[in-house]
Amino acid sequence: MGVLDWFRRKNRTASAGGMAVFQKKYESFKRLLDANNDTLELMARLEAVAEGDFVFDIQFIRSRSQAILDKVATIVEELNILGDNRYQALGNLYDSLREKITQEIATPLATESVPLVMPLSQVDRRHLLQVGGKNANLGELKNRLHLPTPEGFVLTNAAFRLVMRENHLTEKIRIFLDGLNPDNLEALGTQSRELQEAIRQATIPPALQAEVLKHYQALSAQLGSQPALALRSSGIYEDQEYSFAGLFLTRLNVPFADFFPAYLEVLASQFNRRALVYLCQKRLAHREQAMSVGCLAMVPAVASGVLFTTDPMGQRQDVMLVDAAWGLGPAVVDGTVTPDHFVLSKKPPITLLEQQINDKPVFLQGQKSQMGLATSAVPAEQRRQPALTPEQLLTLGRYGLRLEEYFGEPLDIEFAVDPQGRLLIMQARPLLVEAPTPTEKRPAAVGEREQLLLDGGTVACFGVAAGPVYLIQKDQDLANFPEGAILVARHTSARYGMVLHRARGMVIDIGSATSHLAILAREYKVPALVDTGVATEVLQPGQVITVDATHMRVYAGEVHELLDQAHKRSPSPIISSPIYAKLRRVLRWITPLNLVDPKLSDLTPENCKTLHDITRFAHQMGIKEMFDLAEKAGQRDDIHSVKLKTTIPFNLHIIDLGGGIEAGRRAKFVPPEAISSIPMRALWKGISHPDISWAGPIPIDVKGLYAVVSRSLTASSDHSDFWSRTFAIISFNYLNYSSRLGYHFATIDAYVSDIRNDNYITFRFKGGAADEVRRGRRVRFLGAVLEKLDFDVEVTGDLVVGRLWKYPRELMEEKLDMLGRLMGCARQRDMLMADDAIVDWYTEAFLAGNYRFEGSPSLTTAPPDQPAHS
Amino acid sequence: MKQENKSSPGKILIVDDEPDMLEMLDMIITDKTNHRVVTTNNPLEVGELLAKDNYNLVITDLKMPVMDGMDVIAAVKSRDPDIPVVVITAFGTIESAEEAVRRGAYDFITKPFRKEQILVTIERALDWQRLVRENRELKRSRDHASA
Repeated sequence: MGVLDWFRRKNRTASAGGMAVFQKKYESFKRLLDANNDTLELMARLEAVAEGDFVFDIQFIRSRSQAILDKVATIVEELNILGDNRYQALGNLYDSLREKITQEIATPLATESVPLVMPLSQVDRRHLLQVGGKNANLGELKNRLHLPTPEGFVLTNAAFRLVMRENHLTEKIRIFLDGLNPDNLEALGTQSRELQEAIRQATIPPALQAEVLKHYQALSAQLGSQPALALRSSGIYEDQEYSFAGLFLTRLNVPFADFFPAYLEVLASQFNRRALVYLCQKRLAHREQAMSVGCLAMVPAVASGVLFTTDPMGQRQDVMLVDAAWGLGPAVVDGTVTPDHFVLSKKPPITLLEQQINDKPVFLQGQKSQMGLATSAVPAEQRRQPALTPEQLLTLGRYGLRLEEYFGEPLDIEFAVDPQGRLLIMQARPLLVEAPTPTEKRPAAVGEREQLLLDGGTVACFGVAAGPVYLIQKDQDLANFPEGAILVARHTSARYGMVLHRARGMVIDIGSATSHLAILAREYKVPALVDTGVATEVLQPGQVITVDATHMRVYAGEVHELLDQAHKRSPSPIISSPIYAKLRRVLRWITPLNLVDPKLSDLTPENCKTLHDITRFAHQMGIKEMFDLAEKAGQRDDIHSVKLKTTIPFNLHIIDLGGGIEAGRRAKFVPPEAISSIPMRALWKGISHPDISWAGPIPIDVKGLYAVVSRSLTASSDHSDFWSRTFAIISFNYLNYSSRLGYHFATIDAYVSDIRNDNYITFRFKGGAADEVRRGRRVRFLGAVLEKLDFDVEVTGDLVVGRLWKYPRELMEEKLDMLGRLMGCARQRDMLMADDAIVDWYTEAFLAGNYRFEGSPSLTTAPPDQPAHS
Repeated sequence: MKQENKSSPGKILIVDDEPDMLEMLDMIITDKTNHRVVTTNNPLEVGELLAKDNYNLVITDLKMPVMDGMDVIAAVKSRDPDIPVVVITAFGTIESAEEAVRRGAYDFITKPFRKEQILVTIERALDWQRLVRENRELKRSRDHASA
């Protein structure tokens, strides 16, 4: 007879409620376990693929992430059935993760369905493919996170396509890109200039003119003035898998009269020589090129800068880094001035850990009533003042933490402070973080034998490289940059990015690790030192040097010990391909596990950030729900149970959810042989072990007896069900055993099958009649034994919880057998534990199989400071 | 670091409508072997490319819009039956992969695959071509001698 048939038959005679609900929840629990197992397996496989040995396409990422999403949906659904919809918060989190993942793997919208211009107030990550990464992120943090950002509008990729199409440039661009040769910088320069000029000369279609005017007027109405605009590129691949740091043009302080020329100039910058070299290096040249442009009301910034929400060198844990200077932003990222540097602690409460205030002689500001910026001198008294107040730094830190959590990855955030002192976020994009830092020491000989040319500076990218010095003094020098040279320059100009693919290393006088050039160095994995102060003076053109960026030193000649050491770590090139980058972006919402506290204190829906977290949370909660359910079953009359026929003197009632008792053996009383439940059989084997005594009095010392009696008197209401029944709720694979034996309460919740990933045992033991010190001793005895039996043990007061997961079936059965014996032995054992030393004795005795504790010292030695009661 | 090739460098044409696949295959082959690689995401160009240059191997995706892998096999075989064609298929389309082999593909490989898998398949395909050509050469000189 099938399980369901049996229930149907039962339901005809008994009230339908209890048993049916029970059965439904148990089925949910099983589905939860199945889905949990499948999810973990799918995640593990996807992580293995991400390690770099596989070839796959976007379709693969789509189908595998969808499979994981489906499984986790099942998990959330089943947990809510088990918990009577008490886990709705988890469902909301799941929905937001699904949206984030779906965005990453979405197919582009058809051009026709995208408007030419959108107000920033309507943009978010869903428009990624239409407005580019930078605009999408800015819209997201404006409209979803409600952080302060400038107002403005966005010209979408559709606007770019329209302009190109109407000016017959679409095909020209395709042919141009097909014929690119990044190694001939000279020719590339000429071709790039021609194409850019053609774009700058393009006519703006009337439809686009009208749309832009409409949105500018709306913006002016909203602000009550006609603002100058900042036009920022937002490339189709920019800020997603690729930084394109500083490669495209930003036009600041643009009066509306100059809007379209500035717009075309930004579009043209997509084909500047540096950007083209980058496109080739990143193998993006044959893909569709399109550029969206964000048009923001200009913020007359009194100070601005960059926040990195993590140390991009991976050197320091739990810090955020801030660089800031007076005036508008370019001063900081272009390396014009050495900005102030601040280090904030990441762990709440955010505090300022360090600051280095530099001399900032100049600042940038918008020119009055015309496009462009002007450099001005900073007043003497302000030059060495911090560019940010402590309050602004803390506010910035809070924004940073929120954004990092929201976007699920470390970020590079540009900000500005307006004349009212208010912080505004200008953009947020993924921050490339170095792998954990190399910890190897410099070979001992190095430094004594070799001539040290430079010692100090700031690491922009770890590593060691050797080559001839190539000094860049003016932009023309870039065209002749030799393959394999070390780039040496005064500032960290992003323009140098276009030769980085030829450079082996880089040493710079002034600039920070947060500059565009530093970002590019990390992207190209070019060992780089910045802020060395004197590199251009000390290093001679043509001189062969070894840059040990890791230890911030530069030596004369080739230092082979260092180079050999560095050579051992060379990454697989395929890892840096776009599809791997895409997979990693998707995985950040799937595989990281944030719920890592073994004590499970972090187990709340709020702490879940990924699908993996949801899975772990739901698994733990599922077990808890099942356990609570089983506990409640004992108090209900509408649940059908059978009794076990045994000579052991306790009242064991069994509720079979299906497959737990042999078919045809259903009667009011069943013998132990009729148990077919795997975990119940195993447990029973231990309970009924011949050396375990459940009958007869246990010898107690007098103080123990006194404690029992007094406690029973004072806490009688707690013990009204003192001899209440012991329940086992079973199925073929499941066991939930709740027992009150004497004064203590023990439960076992277990699932044992041939699929080891599903298997678990949770054992809880609480209470006891003796005083707290003695109960504590028993708990310590149980904890010690459980640990020896390989359980994860947690002891809180007189509660001991032991957990065991994912052992194969035979071992799980063995552990349950041992738990059966342990429960028998622990029966009122607290009364015997007269002193601490005895705990160890009992532990050893149990593990040695001396279940009767023969030769126990507790009856023969009384503790000197505790005279026996009489 | 390039691996020592048993065989001399060959020229490989890769056809796939997914730029990502082209890039990865290009990267792997260029990184690990001395073979030269030409890629296209437009299968309609295959005829032209084959006419312009001598290829030792064609690797093609099976499922592409406009012109699929079966058409690529036909185009290659009509040009030179000695050029081996390796077909890349998605998981779960084994039947079409077998069909491709019946139509003259040298072998097929199912996505996702390990990079070593494609490298081994490439070397085997190139060895096969060498053998076929040597055989033909031997046969010709034998026929020539006996004539």
